[in-house]
Amino acid sequence: MSTLQAIQQQMQQAVLTAQTSPLSSVRSDAIADVHSRLAVYQHGYRIRLRDALKNEFVGLSSMVSRGFDALLDTYVETHPSNHFNIRWYGTGLAGFLENKRHDKPQLAEMARLDWAISTAFDATDEPSIDITQLATIPPEAWATLQLVPQGNLQVLSCAYNVDTFRRAADHGTTRPHLRRYAKPRRILVWRHAMSIHYRRLEEDESQVLTAVQRGESFATLCAILAEYHGETAAMSRMVALLQAWVGAGLLRDLGTM
Amino acid sequence: MTAARTHALPYLGYGLGLRVEHYEALLEQPAQVEWLEVVSENYMVDGGLPLVWLDRFRERYPLVMHGVSMSIGSTDPLDEDYLTRLAALAQRVEPAWVSDHLCWTGVQGINLHDLMPLPYTEEALDHVVGRVKQVQDRLKRRILLENVSSYVSFAQSQLTEWEFLAEVAERADCLLLLDVNNVHVSAMNHGFSSLDYLRGIPVSRVQQFHLAGYEQGERLIVDTHDAPVSNAVWDLYLEAVRRFGRVSTMIERDDHFPPLAELLAELEHARALAEPLLRDAA
Repeated sequence: MSTLQAIQQQMQQAVLTAQTSPLSSVRSDAIADVHSRLAVYQHGYRIRLRDALKNEFVGLSSMVSRGFDALLDTYVETHPSNHFNIRWYGTGLAGFLENKRHDKPQLAEMARLDWAISTAFDATDEPSIDITQLATIPPEAWATLQLVPQGNLQVLSCAYNVDTFRRAADHGTTRPHLRRYAKPRRILVWRHAMSIHYRRLEEDESQVLTAVQRGESFATLCAILAEYHGETAAMSRMVALLQAWVGAGLLRDLGTM
Repeated sequence: MTAARTHALPYLGYGLGLRVEHYEALLEQPAQVEWLEVVSENYMVDGGLPLVWLDRFRERYPLVMHGVSMSIGSTDPLDEDYLTRLAALAQRVEPAWVSDHLCWTGVQGINLHDLMPLPYTEEALDHVVGRVKQVQDRLKRRILLENVSSYVSFAQSQLTEWEFLAEVAERADCLLLLDVNNVHVSAMNHGFSSLDYLRGIPVSRVQQFHLAGYEQGERLIVDTHDAPVSNAVWDLYLEAVRRFGRVSTMIERDDHFPPLAELLAELEHARALAEPLLRDAA
């Protein structure tokens, strides 16, 4: 190991562990001792990472409230960053909460929604189809038609009303009460025209959208809806969903099986 | 005032660091701001709003790119993915120049998201020079390296910080971004003369100045870049203008963002200090 390597590893270790014992390579002088000098880096490291998380996890902040800093500090102490952009430091927070906070599964769920919103923010730009493209599809092609969703589209399964916490945080309104649903609900997160959107999905829409993500044919999508609404009503529901999806920019392209 | 710059990149005038907090205001009233510096990493993304804004500013202002995570002094290998994204961004932005810091940000795959100082040794010098050359070859352009504020110095150091910086610039044939605030902060924290520092930096290598504010700690000055430029730094800026001449200058604020008007007033102050000196010297 070179001297430079040794110095950098010792220095990094001292920052990560908030080591208080002196480092042999760091000079002390009349202005400040080694401890005071290292403390600037140790303190700065923790503040920077905590602030980066606060920027991204606004729903979690609203949900946890006064214990938020302490919660983030436990993550910071055990998870060094390995991405060049500090904004990405929160990538492991939901998983961390899932493992460490079994007692409060809503925290991981909330972090997952916050993170989905964050990642949609600078996901790859993709075109959206418009309604006129649907009008050009010949009747015989509909059965094997594939709807191609936006790459930034994410569907989350939520047992708690995490979206209401996020909405309250986004709009600066009163923090809601935590509710656990009898059956998990699906929340859709996507970006359209540079704005991030999230909304709850009805169960039939959730099933069909998941099938879209799997690359199923239009005929299969209609068959799924028929299970909910019967064959006659399924088509009108499919048309309504299609119009809504195209209008919301959820679809990137059309293909065939 | 001494030797002229021999590594001609354009002189841009008086600029600001571009921050989200001032996006709208900067598009509305650009008159006093002649150029903008963007933080490279904020725009090294796959898509979305950051790049839309960046394109808007690119239409209105000359831009330069300033990175914080190149980690040129780290003993980890250079991050290929990082350099690929940086090169792609430079191709999109076509900045007047690309800069980063003379520091390391982490080892063993970790990023401390801080600008860690190097020991000023021959070993570190060889290491950094080789990496600067690699990056310059990769980006197909000369880069600027900025001096960082520091709170520690190393027993192994054989050179002063300014000797090290000057040697890197000469041996790697790169340019320098002199952060006047950082010179002052490090001088106070380590007890060296900021004027000796300026005198040790080769005039021909300095392409850009940063001006910023700091926080006075109990024993050490902490470079927070979240306050107005201090009187001590304004004084040092005058000395820097006397020595280095006409250098593109900007106010860099990283936190506690005031209304744009306050930064414009600081920029105007920089202009008012420098221009008479530059006129007299002409």
